[in-house]
Amino acid sequence: MTANALPAGDDPRRLLTDIRALAHRVRLDRRVTWFALLLLAAVTLVAIPIDWLSLDADCGGADGPCHIRRLNRAYYWLPALLLAYTAIAGYAVRAARARGLGARVLPYVLTGVALAVLSAAAWLFATLYWRSHPVPVNPLPTWMMVIDGLVAPAGTIGVALLVLAWLERHVALLVFTLGYLAVVLMPLDAAWVPPFGYLSSFLVPQLVNGIVLLLGAAWFAMAHRRVR
Amino acid sequence: MTAEADVPESPAHPVTGLDDVVHQRVRLGVLTITHEARRVEFGYLRTQLQLTAGNLSQHLGVLESAGLIEVEKGYAGRRGRTWITLTAAGQQALAEEIGRLKALIARVESGETARDS
Repeated sequence: MTANALPAGDDPRRLLTDIRALAHRVRLDRRVTWFALLLLAAVTLVAIPIDWLSLDADCGGADGPCHIRRLNRAYYWLPALLLAYTAIAGYAVRAARARGLGARVLPYVLTGVALAVLSAAAWLFATLYWRSHPVPVNPLPTWMMVIDGLVAPAGTIGVALLVLAWLERHVALLVFTLGYLAVVLMPLDAAWVPPFGYLSSFLVPQLVNGIVLLLGAAWFAMAHRRVR
Repeated sequence: MTAEADVPESPAHPVTGLDDVVHQRVRLGVLTITHEARRVEFGYLRTQLQLTAGNLSQHLGVLESAGLIEVEKGYAGRRGRTWITLTAAGQQALAEEIGRLKALIARVESGETARDS
């Protein structure tokens, strides 16, 4: 018996190709990437005025180190991210159901919640640590700054998007997220003079992160409309 | 020693393990979509597989009788809806079928390579 004895429609290569195409179609129909990015962009942009009011930078002398307190990590970012992930999951379930599909949102929600809590815990630890330790005179090593960037709210958004890209096998989202994380983790040019005082050096990168997420949302929304 | 004893035992040809219930284009499609979606509505299956309602119902009947899917009827507002979920046996049957298809392709390709060389 050879493979030719099978009916033409049951050719194993064709069957496997069909299986992959159907699975891909289901994943496409279930995606709500644009909504997730739009909501995360909104959370990032709304944080800017809140940051402006709650950031407290004590820079002492002109050349001395700065002691920065970000009170909004616990009061704004933690509840905002938890609400955002819940809203994204709720929307994903609703959209999938409307198309006649089930939704798998629990792994994404759990990851998002874990990352938001980790970010808040890292902030709490750093706050307590620097309260009893002197502020370092020299800049912190690069690896420490990268970890700091990853556990900061903008970084945890990137990591949550990486998980989403992996769960949905979404290559375009993976590429976008890597670009977003590169923007988030890019160190500021030391020679750069903030336009609106010292505090704006923290707020301008946040504005850039929000705009990148917003542009991503617009691009994925257009791509989604084209596919459907 | 007999002649039979000299023949090395070869693994069964992948075709011999194919399950007629699963090894059918439409039913394999139903299992694949249901596996990927966790739960799928009758209308979505009908659209994706481009079948009539009657034809799809027949295939679903075969899969349900074999214990590979569960069919649940309910309502979304006033509209009647039929949802299909994969059973544990269905998951296993799908995984085995994909494994056999891959084995079959590998076997055919290795045969072609041997013939070419």
